[in-house]
Amino acid sequence: MSYDLFLGCVIPARLPFLEASSRKVFEKLGIKLNDVDGFSCCPDPTGIEQIDRNTWLALGARNLSLCNNNGGVISFCSGCVETLKGVNYFINKDLTIKKKVNRYLQKIGKTYEGKTEVKHFAQVLYENLEKLKENIEKPLEGLKVAVHYGCHYLRPSEIIEWDDPFEPITIDEIVKTLGAESVEYDLKMECCGNPVEKSDKDLSLLMIGNKLKAIQQAGANCVVVVCPACYQQFEFNQKELNKLNNTDYNIPIFYLSELVALAFGFKPEELGLNFHRIKPNTLFESLGFEI
Amino acid sequence: MSVINYKFRNEVLKHNASLSYCYQCSTCSGGCPVALLTSGNYNPRKIIEEAILGLQDKLVQSQDPNPWLCSTCQKCVELCPQKVELTEIFVLIKNRCFKQSKTPEAFLAQAQAVLENGVAIPYSKAILTRRDKLGLPEVKTASLDEINELLQETNFKKHLLKEG
Repeated sequence: MSYDLFLGCVIPARLPFLEASSRKVFEKLGIKLNDVDGFSCCPDPTGIEQIDRNTWLALGARNLSLCNNNGGVISFCSGCVETLKGVNYFINKDLTIKKKVNRYLQKIGKTYEGKTEVKHFAQVLYENLEKLKENIEKPLEGLKVAVHYGCHYLRPSEIIEWDDPFEPITIDEIVKTLGAESVEYDLKMECCGNPVEKSDKDLSLLMIGNKLKAIQQAGANCVVVVCPACYQQFEFNQKELNKLNNTDYNIPIFYLSELVALAFGFKPEELGLNFHRIKPNTLFESLGFEI
Repeated sequence: MSVINYKFRNEVLKHNASLSYCYQCSTCSGGCPVALLTSGNYNPRKIIEEAILGLQDKLVQSQDPNPWLCSTCQKCVELCPQKVELTEIFVLIKNRCFKQSKTPEAFLAQAQAVLENGVAIPYSKAILTRRDKLGLPEVKTASLDEINELLQETNFKKHLLKEG
């Protein structure tokens, strides 16, 4: 089994340790990821699409035109997945859009028919749950995880076509398979607030503050995410919120790939967990994990 | 006072016919996290109402309600009993705002980065060292000539340069 790998911008250029754990997990599962030269920004469905739909379609279709793997393309980022699936959706739904996009692409000697299958890495993990189970060396017992699905992993369901848009199960199932507990909490299905940071920072902080409060109240000792925008929103803002509101948030944020890799027996330092702003060391010590 | 702009109204309806299905039930606003936290100042139902009425000055010039506050969580689209493609219509409105220089600075900064680097975040020296340390391969990003040509073709470059 193999897929082309679409890295996007945020993970490789700002949070490369998330890429490291993701690559390790796929290697261990025996799923080959092919690096492809020449990708641009996906582009951002919460940014470029909002200011110019045609540019979003053109750049997205150009990226998809570079994929040549029959298994399709996967990404570690929910935003990239939404863009690439969205571009496919519009190209296949509307012939005038397909023609327009190909007119743009013609200028750079490319063409795209809308046939490349796009998957989120968490989808591929879920589809390989049995294989994942076989590779577990250290069940994550004692980890009380607040699962944050994020919006673009699920919606719009007509474009994403994966899991339930309001009552999803896939990431909870993966977390439980790893031996951890998935803690139910209020606001589980709410947006983290990252996209509104570009227009209203206070509102963005309010959104993430409400989620963190609910997570703390529910007694979770960490959060798991599958999108780098959510990751940054959860991790980078805890200190600022503490300063503003006299709270004491210090909740480690994990990428799903990091939890899987830890359960597979990889050491925290191999995964670059030391690059996290909120260090998970105390949590690991309290659970008796080797650091 | 708001004035109906028939040309704008017809363009929006032509672009997305689902707009005309809206019967103003407000399910969208009831499920919208931003409407909840702004006491209804941001209000997807109202944006749709203004779009149906063709109130371009409200939507684009005075931005009341402000379409840039949408978090793109896509809940409204899932919840709408009439299958109105709300976020599609919001994209159309915000695309109009961009063409009329009514875009928040952070969106333009990201657009500028993509125009200059092909990617939204350029690779700093520190990150390249960190990638190396983590044993990650070199990333070969898009040819800038190609991106430039494509963005010229979609008129993106022209609008962005106009923004200065």
